Formats: sequence, structure tokens, C-alpha cells
Amino acid sequence: MTPHFGLPEFGFLLRGLQWTVLLTLVAFAGGCTAGLAVALLRTCGHKGVEWITRIYIGIFQGTPLLLQLFVVYYGLALTGLKLDAFVAVAIGFTVNASAFLGEIWRGAIQAVPRGQTEAAMALGLHYSSRMRDIVLPQAIRISLPATIGYLVQLIKGTSLAAIVGFIELARAGQIVSNQTFQPLLVFGVVGAMYFILCWPLSWWGSRMEARLALASQR
Amino acid sequence: MLFSSNRRQLGIALLALAAIAIAGKSQAGTLEDVKKKGVVVVGIQGDNPPWGYVDSSGKQDGIDADMGRAFAEYLGVKAEFVPLAVANRIPALTTGRVDILFATMAMLPERAKAVQYSKPYVANEITLVAAQATPINSNADMGKYVIGVPRSSTQDTQVTNSAPAGTEIRRFDDDAATIQALLSGQVQAVGANSFYPQRLNAAKRELGFRAQASLYCSLQRGLHAPWRQGVERDGQQIHRRDQVEWQAGRILRQMDEGARADLPRLGPRRSIHRPVATARGRRIIRVGRRPQRSRIHAGPDPDRNEGRAEVVRRVPGTSRC
Amino acid sequence: MGYTLDFSVVWHAVPALLWGCVGTLGLALAGMTLAMVIGVAGVAARDSKAAWLRAIVIGFVEIVRNTPFLVQIFFLFFALPLIGLKLNPTATAIIALGVNGGAYAIEIIRGGVQSIHKGQVEAGYALGLHKGQVFRFIVLKPALRAIYPSLTGQFIMLTLTSSICSAVSAYELTSVAQRIESDTFRSFEVYFSVTFLYLAISWLLMLGFAVISHRFFSYPTR
Repeated sequence: MTPHFGLPEFGFLLRGLQWTVLLTLVAFAGGCTAGLAVALLRTCGHKGVEWITRIYIGIFQGTPLLLQLFVVYYGLALTGLKLDAFVAVAIGFTVNASAFLGEIWRGAIQAVPRGQTEAAMALGLHYSSRMRDIVLPQAIRISLPATIGYLVQLIKGTSLAAIVGFIELARAGQIVSNQTFQPLLVFGVVGAMYFILCWPLSWWGSRMEARLALASQR
Repeated sequence: MLFSSNRRQLGIALLALAAIAIAGKSQAGTLEDVKKKGVVVVGIQGDNPPWGYVDSSGKQDGIDADMGRAFAEYLGVKAEFVPLAVANRIPALTTGRVDILFATMAMLPERAKAVQYSKPYVANEITLVAAQATPINSNADMGKYVIGVPRSSTQDTQVTNSAPAGTEIRRFDDDAATIQALLSGQVQAVGANSFYPQRLNAAKRELGFRAQASLYCSLQRGLHAPWRQGVERDGQQIHRRDQVEWQAGRILRQMDEGARADLPRLGPRRSIHRPVATARGRRIIRVGRRPQRSRIHAGPDPDRNEGRAEVVRRVPGTSRC
Repeated sequence: MGYTLDFSVVWHAVPALLWGCVGTLGLALAGMTLAMVIGVAGVAARDSKAAWLRAIVIGFVEIVRNTPFLVQIFFLFFALPLIGLKLNPTATAIIALGVNGGAYAIEIIRGGVQSIHKGQVEAGYALGLHKGQVFRFIVLKPALRAIYPSLTGQFIMLTLTSSICSAVSAYELTSVAQRIESDTFRSFEVYFSVTFLYLAISWLLMLGFAVISHRFFSYPTR
């Protein structure tokens, strides 16, 4: 009657992993786009707009991701848009990512030496060209370790989609653990899957950070 | 062009874009909409076999899934399942995330204020399940143990109402976590449905899990939100008695013998809200503050007639509701 | 016809919600205390001479930092009892928070310790300070000052993370919110309001930490 943890169960976890990866990719892509907008607004020079984006970032950094998901999940439904769980959850993560990435890139944009911007202005470059050709390429380089760090947070964060019922890796683990009654093994495997996903990124990020630190010492 | 030449313009443009993205068109989900879409979105449980669960191949299965598919077939549309955590079921419905719930839902007074019910399609017995060595013979006994329940389930309501004050009740997100908590020994008893003992014993037969006491007979129904225009009328229409009975009967006949034996038998014309005496000779727990008939019947339930019991009664069951 | 928002259910539940805030802060405080203990012990072990001890600490940090908190707390709550380690939800929550925060604390504290140059300690001795004074004024205070922003940030993170402890039925703000939700089915109203309670908590904490920082660490470095 009780299935043991075998290939089908492992396959089920892999499918959960697939959703975790997909959710992460969608949220990260959306978060990058919206985050760039947030970062640009945050540094646009207009006091009012800067304040609004600052509050926006503050709200997302000052509240639990779980609650943000709840609010987006139920709030979106209230607007009358019928979205399936994946889209709703993906929007929740995207909004969260936009705030965090926006703040990371805000810091990076401001870390680009002011002289660069001034030189570009002296050359008569417009805002768009100044940003695209001078500031952003440098800012991206500076922000890369932090961005990767956030990507790891995002992967881990997608496990919270389990609590609103979306079947990704953590939820799949719960279901399998309940079918096989081997929580030690199942949660161990689930943990290992997350680790395999996150650890190379973490490693890459810290290596990048060390390299940047070295470069700035010179 | 991604970047406006004027950064202030860019700022205002992006904010406007965000505003447009947020303001969605409000839309009422009626039966017509469902038919127009060609899909009925069914809220269901993902981890509560054999009611509603996702099998190892990722397919939604279970009695509730069969009901959902039969219902969709009846409407001539496709069924799309949204697995929900226990506590998210009614909110998912009231906020319009799903069109209907087939998700192990009993009728309770608090719920009756928020949603509308179909006719019941199957009976489910809410019991207190514990290992053999943990007898529960009275309400006072409940106070001696730590009891686990899925948050905001019927079990939660019944255990909370029946247990003496000060009983330690731990609430988990779903049935899976609740069962896991009993197996791990984090709780000594759980508020259970008809299938818990079978699932628990499959894991640890040596502990001899059994339903120690019966709390409530829950007649499971499909749920839909009352305030969406058109649904009330449609509701009466789509949950026509013959339809529900036909579907439930067919589904129950297809169930395997072992699982069917665990289901309580539905007695004719019994009040569905009274505590249950069971054929297994268990002690009966008087439900402390049990749901009041009048309040339930004052609710928006279109169906007060319990004469629909015939179909389910044919099922060879061991306890009666 | 749409959904009408009704925040009165939240208003009626304000006392319960405030107690939930107390529960959340309690968990976070206890978790952070444990995290600090793990952090300090971890830093000592991380730089010990025994290779196996270093490996354990590195492994611990990497595993904790690269797996989700939800999986960690599930493991502690549901799996560990099978090998005879049974903890109640509150203890589980505190340990999970402590272990999670501890892994980050190790890295933070280590960074702080490394920021103290050996030359400064030697200079301290050269000035005739005795061992306790050197530790207090030359090692501890500058190191604390260096790690203070990261540690307080970690504390706020931990406060927010504690919301996940509701999954093992620990008593804190989110579980209180879920109780109210399950009584009223007003998810959006409840969660929206509770989100702002969390915001208030984290902003108050930030303010408090800024005041402390101003009081103790506002002296010129060079």
C-alpha cells in the first residue's frame, strides 16, 4: 500500500524542482526588468519619485516574503484578473525581486564614480546614452556578486510558494514525505536538491566578490 | 526606446505603466463565464488521499478530482485543478481564484455566511485518531493530549469546540503535515477524517492507530461564492439533486473496496449536523458547542432536504452519518 | 459585482495581533541569541587548527545558507523525532532560527574579527594596556562596530523569517493571522494589515538600532 521512496517519487520531486527553476527564472527575469526601472527611478533626481521608490523598496525589505505572497496572491484575485496559481505566485516573486534588485543596483549605480557621469555630460551625451554606455555597464559589474546572492535567496524563497499550495520542490517534498512516511530521507533529498541548485551560484558569487575586491585594491 | 531623454519623463512614464498594470478589469465569475472560457477552475486538495491528491506522476486524482471532472463534463467544459492549502480553500473561492471547490468541505455555520453550498455528495466522518495506547473516552480526555489539526478545517472547528479549555491544539497548514506530526510524535492525537487511520497504519502499523471517538459527520459539498452575480441561480441549477447523486454514485461505485469501507454510511433523512453514533461502538463525544441548525438553515444553503441519501447509502460502510 | 473589503475583522482582532507581535519578537530575540552563540563558537572553530573542525563549520555554513528555511524547519520538526530528538514547536522555531541566523552570523563575525589588524593589537600592548583592555578597546569595540550594521540587519531578517515558523504551528504573528483568517475568510484584509504590522516592527527595530548605534559607536575612526 505505502509506496517506498523510489524512482516515481524521485521523478515527482524532479518535476517539483522543474517548477522551482521555472518560477525562479520567471521571477528573476521579471525582477531584473522591473528592478532596473526601480533602480533608475531611485536615482532619477526627482525628489518625489525617489521618495516613492524608496518607500516601495522599504516596504518589500521590511515585510516577510511569505506575507507579500499572501497579499499578492489574494489581492490580485480581487482585481478581477483570473490568474492561475503559477502566474500569481510569479508576480509576487517578481515584485519582491524588483525591490531587492532595484536597491542592489541603486547602490551599484551610485558606486560608479561621479566623474564618469560628469565626463559623459561634458561630452554632451544624453541621459539614455550616459546610462546605457557609461554607467550601467560598470554598475552591473559592481553589482554582480550581490545580484547572484539575491538569486540564491530567490531560489530558496520560492519554497514559500508551497504554503499557498503551489506544487514546487518543497511542496512536492511534503507530498512525497506524506505518501512514503520517510520524512528524514525525503527532506534530506529535497534539501540536497536545493543545495545542488544554490551552491554553485553561491560559490560563483563569492569568487566574483573576491575578484572585485582584489581589483579595487589595485 | 527604453530610456527617455528626459529622466523625469521616464520616471512618470514608468509609474503610469505600473498603474495601468495594477488596475485590472473587475469581472464576475458566473456560469456563463465558465462556459465561455471553456474551463472550470476547481479548487481541490493536493495532499489528502483519497479525497484529493496529486499522484507521483503529477496528475490530480481522488474522489474530489472525480467530482470535479464529472462536474466539468456535465457543463461541457474542461476541468482545471488548483491544489490549495486547507486554510486557503474558502479565501481562494471568495477572492475568485477558483470557480468552485471540491475540497473535502463540510458545511459549517461560519462558512455558510461566506459561501454557498451544493448538495452533499459524500459523507465523511470527523473523528479523533490516536494510537491504541492513547485512549480518548471523553471530552475531558482530550485535554490530556496535544492534538493536531489542519488549520481551519472541519477538524479544527470540531476539536476546538469540543476540547476542554486549555487543551493544547496545534494547527498545521494541511492534512499531510498533521498526519506527519502524529507519526513523528509531535502530537498524540489528531482531528481526522475517515481515511486517516488507514494512512497512519500504512506507515506505522505497530502503533495501531484508530478512530478513538467520533466528533461530527461531515457531508461534503461543492462550494461556490454567493455574491457573484448569477451564481445563486446557476448554483441551484448546476447542483441539481439528480446530477450530484448521479455523479457521486458513479464515483463511489468506481472506488476500490478497501477505501469505500472506510466511508461512513449516510442514513436517510438524518440531521446532518448532529454528532454521530457509530456502528463500531465507539464512545460518543458530545460536541460542546455544535453548529446550530437554525443558523445553518438561515444561511444561503439552497438545499435543506437530506433525502438525497439513497445513493450513498448503498455503499457498504461501517459507520453511519 | 465585486468583493467588498471589510477591515472590521482586523480591528476586532487587534489585541490578538499585538500578542502575535510579542510572540514574533520573542522568537526572533531567542533565535538571535542562539545565532550569536553559534556565530562566536563557529568563528572560533572556523579558525582552529583541527582540519575536521574547520570542515564541519564550512559545511554547516554552506548547507544552511544554500537550503530554504522552510525545508530546514520541516526537517527539524518532522524528521528529527524519528531519531529521538523531539522538540515542541516553539523550541523548534527558536533552534531553526538560531541555526539559520548562526550560519550568517559566523560569516559576519569572522569578517569583523578579520578587520582588526594585528598591528593594532601590538600597538595596544606597546602603549602598556593589559590583555583585558586590549581585548575590550582594541579588538571588541571596533569589531562590534564593524559588524553592527550587518548583525542588526540579520536580526531584522530573522524577525521576518520567523513568519515561516507558523508552518510548524509555532505561536507568532503569522499564525495568529492565519487563525483570524480561518475564522473570517477575509484573507486579503488580514494579511494586508499584518504585513503592515511587520513593516512597523522592522521600521521600529531599525530606528532603535540607529539610536543605539548613535549612542555607542559614533566616535571618529581616524
